[in-house]
Amino acid sequence: MDVRTMTKKYVGQRITRNEDPRLLTGQALFTDDVHLPGMLHAAFLRSDYAHARIKRIDTSKALERPGVVAVYTAADMGDFWKPGPLLVPPPTAVPGAVFHKRTQIPLAKDKVRHMGEPIAVVIAESRYIAEDALEDIEVEFEPLPAVVGLEEALSPDAALVHDDLESNLAAHVIQEKGNYEEAKAKADVILQRRIVVDRGAAAAMENRGVVVNWDDKAQELTVWDTTQAPIPLRNGLAAMLGLSEHQVRVIAPFVGGGFGPKIMMFQPEEVLLPWASMRLKRPIKWIEDRRENFLATTQERGQIHDVEIALTKDGRILGLKDVFIHDTGAYDPYGMTVPLNTQCHAVGAYDIANYYTEVKMVFTNKMIVTPVRGAGRPQGIFVIERMLDLAAKELGLSPIEIRKRNFIPPDKFPYEHNIIDQAFAPLIFDSGNYPAVLEKAAAMINYEYFVKEEQPRLRAEGKHVGIGIVSFIETTGVGPYEGARITVGASGKVNVVTGVGTQGQGHFTSFAQIVADQLGVDVRDVHVVTGDTAQFHWGTGTFASRGAVVAGNAIHAAAVKVRAKILQWGSKLLDVPEEELELADGKVRVADMPEKAISLGELAVIANPLRGTVEPGTEPGLEATDYFGPQYGATANGAHAMILEVDPETMMVEIKKYVAVEDCGTVLNPLILEGQIQGGLSMGLGNAYYEKLEYDNNGQLLNASLMDYLLVRSTDMPKQIELGHEETKSPLNPIGSKGVGEAGAIPVPSLFAQALENALADYNLEITEMPLSPNKLYEMVYKK
Amino acid sequence: MKLQGEYVFDGPREVVWEVIRDPDVLAKALPGMKSLDKVADNVYVGEMNVRIGPVAGTFSGKLTVSNEVPPESYSLTVEGKGGPGFGKGTGDVKLIDQGGKTLMQYEGELLVGGTIANVGQRLIETVANSMAKQAFESINRSLQARLSGQAESGEPVAFQAPSQMEFAAGVAKDLASQMLSPEYKNFWVSLAAVLVALILGYALGRSSRD
Repeated sequence: MDVRTMTKKYVGQRITRNEDPRLLTGQALFTDDVHLPGMLHAAFLRSDYAHARIKRIDTSKALERPGVVAVYTAADMGDFWKPGPLLVPPPTAVPGAVFHKRTQIPLAKDKVRHMGEPIAVVIAESRYIAEDALEDIEVEFEPLPAVVGLEEALSPDAALVHDDLESNLAAHVIQEKGNYEEAKAKADVILQRRIVVDRGAAAAMENRGVVVNWDDKAQELTVWDTTQAPIPLRNGLAAMLGLSEHQVRVIAPFVGGGFGPKIMMFQPEEVLLPWASMRLKRPIKWIEDRRENFLATTQERGQIHDVEIALTKDGRILGLKDVFIHDTGAYDPYGMTVPLNTQCHAVGAYDIANYYTEVKMVFTNKMIVTPVRGAGRPQGIFVIERMLDLAAKELGLSPIEIRKRNFIPPDKFPYEHNIIDQAFAPLIFDSGNYPAVLEKAAAMINYEYFVKEEQPRLRAEGKHVGIGIVSFIETTGVGPYEGARITVGASGKVNVVTGVGTQGQGHFTSFAQIVADQLGVDVRDVHVVTGDTAQFHWGTGTFASRGAVVAGNAIHAAAVKVRAKILQWGSKLLDVPEEELELADGKVRVADMPEKAISLGELAVIANPLRGTVEPGTEPGLEATDYFGPQYGATANGAHAMILEVDPETMMVEIKKYVAVEDCGTVLNPLILEGQIQGGLSMGLGNAYYEKLEYDNNGQLLNASLMDYLLVRSTDMPKQIELGHEETKSPLNPIGSKGVGEAGAIPVPSLFAQALENALADYNLEITEMPLSPNKLYEMVYKK
Repeated sequence: MKLQGEYVFDGPREVVWEVIRDPDVLAKALPGMKSLDKVADNVYVGEMNVRIGPVAGTFSGKLTVSNEVPPESYSLTVEGKGGPGFGKGTGDVKLIDQGGKTLMQYEGELLVGGTIANVGQRLIETVANSMAKQAFESINRSLQARLSGQAESGEPVAFQAPSQMEFAAGVAKDLASQMLSPEYKNFWVSLAAVLVALILGYALGRSSRD
């Protein structure tokens, strides 16, 4: 398809990505591609202990090593040594909430609280020298008992991660809707289960990295950083370093995957290196290696739930009670985003009148927990979907039937949950048609036929095949706001700048599609710049599946403004009323006299007069800036289904067919959507059957390499993936979009569990824990 | 991690006791041991090279002997740290008289941290057992030397944790011997197993060189 001659709308079109030629030919700039004259290299001394007091640090030998320029410890940092800021407000919007803020520190001072916590930084002429010098540093530790288990963390005789607190309780939040105990009293069936979800890594292809350059003559600091939030990072660094915002430029160039941990700002490396560069007046580079990524990049998922569900005998949920412990690791800089998401997703897509949810967040001597693609949502969905599956078994209902009996009906939107969400706003689901989505997934996987015909036939052949189908919701597109500035240049090409960073989401294409539709230009002529604070300096960042929703709508708003300016100028110059004009082929023209036209390039020149006078109030150029902030987040939904086969001897699983039906409102680009779902799915499969961070009782991470930590390989992916769409536009934004960045990952563990139980029906398996592995499954099946 | 094992020395218990309590013998017998110096009664400090899979480096550490009941038993505490991380072990050693021969039984607990735990976890046990075996063999040679009235023991054991190539070959050998056990009576199955083992050994060896 030649997009150049297309006159129809780009939004909704499956077009290839604008950024791919650069990425595929190696022309895209990543942080590690930045080389500056005189650049030094940093390496961090990280704690081998999960919990220990630091008695003494001696850096003298390291300083003697030729090529070492500086070695810094906490003691060298003076007043600059400060715990990082809390990135998300405390949950004070919830009455009675308890929250103890203990944020990460740039270098450990008196004690280390997790393995991998930085203790010192060496800055040298090369990374080799810097790494060698790390071994010259002597640190005397007094090991302390490590707090590892979540329940153990709360035991009265547990060691304290933070000595100044009475216990390892980091936060305690109770939310209740209706009255669970009353609902329970009326129930025919009550099920109780313990559900455990363990940790995984985000494992982005590109590890974290920072290059900093303090230009002493210009008095300007430039930071290339793999961050998902360049603008807040710039603002924070300026404040910490006593500079004005305009003296600090943060550039988040191409980033090889974010998945959450790169939204965790003011990590020790990105705070220390700008400070060091200003002292040494030299550029400095640090690129995280893979082992550091396991030990020093934030992780997620660890929770233990005690769940109780109360139902009528016909399968209607009367109430749900979920009491859980959430592991925040050694510090809690990201507040309660993750557990609040869990609380908001444990209700799933269902109309549950009575809901009691209580979370205790605990400090442990493990890596800090911050959102990883899904961010608490997969745990919530795992809880409700598992409980529904168990209830369906108990009541003799099919998984589809029990879900249909409990969905929020399509006419009940907006649906208020009367609890508070991660943005401290009331949780409201804006729109959706949940039964239609589930039915579509059931039809696409051919559910009835498989269960009635194919499965009995395959079972008779001795095959262990199973089918699963689950529903889920995803809160997305949260505030506060994003902005964009759009400029038409003299070449007729359009420049779009926005503050969000990009980590592979296809922003250079989907954003361009929105603009191209408004301005009637070729989508390849729209140049998008993201993540450079020198280009645009208001905004928050890329997280919570909000790029397409919040930045997308800001871009849409700015494009509408530029379009208005073009029409105004066109009307004046062509002497035709605005209503008779159209924007197409890079021109403004008279709709029924297309030869009467002015190109946008010419118009851009005219709109920026260089001599003469203009009318008062004239803004130069074909340019506009606008912002968008949603009233509250849009809630997407979906249903996934799969057919798998298990080899009962090896417990290896082959996924024969996978179906994902998504409702993310208006689809901007189906190709990009497919990529998001497939990528999310591989992460979800990892969380279900492959990826688990193994900590021993001493807080040592035992699989900190890709040799031992099993990422999902392409051969582990389903043989066949089919995508379906249902579209209920979000009423919360003009485009009608909802986010979909995390949707692929969220339902997979619950779906995988259901399909496994179905495949191994003879063994009467009950799966209440994730991630599993072939070994674990083998033990569950044969060692009961 | 639990460590456990036994070894039969070819000599009477009293002489074995003498030999294993001699720091000079130990310094030479422990693979990778660079030095071992007595700093107090029953307390030794030393430096040791260690390689576990992809992780290598020097540990400096302290060895303490306690609960000595000559010539029957004693306890050991080892603490070491270095670039690749840290380790702490405690163990009990027993010598059982078998009339002319001596059975040594040992069991202990090893705690490791840092890179060796993060990256080397899968290989620690194999390497620890390999090192123990080499040490005992070397001690046994010293024992023979002492018994035959020669002067001091043989050569120090060099740093000899198996290379990846040797490791791969060992894996292949074990696999083959396992598959050639009596239940595999069918000649063709045995032949196929040997071929698989050879190919695997070759492939692993190759990949470690690349």
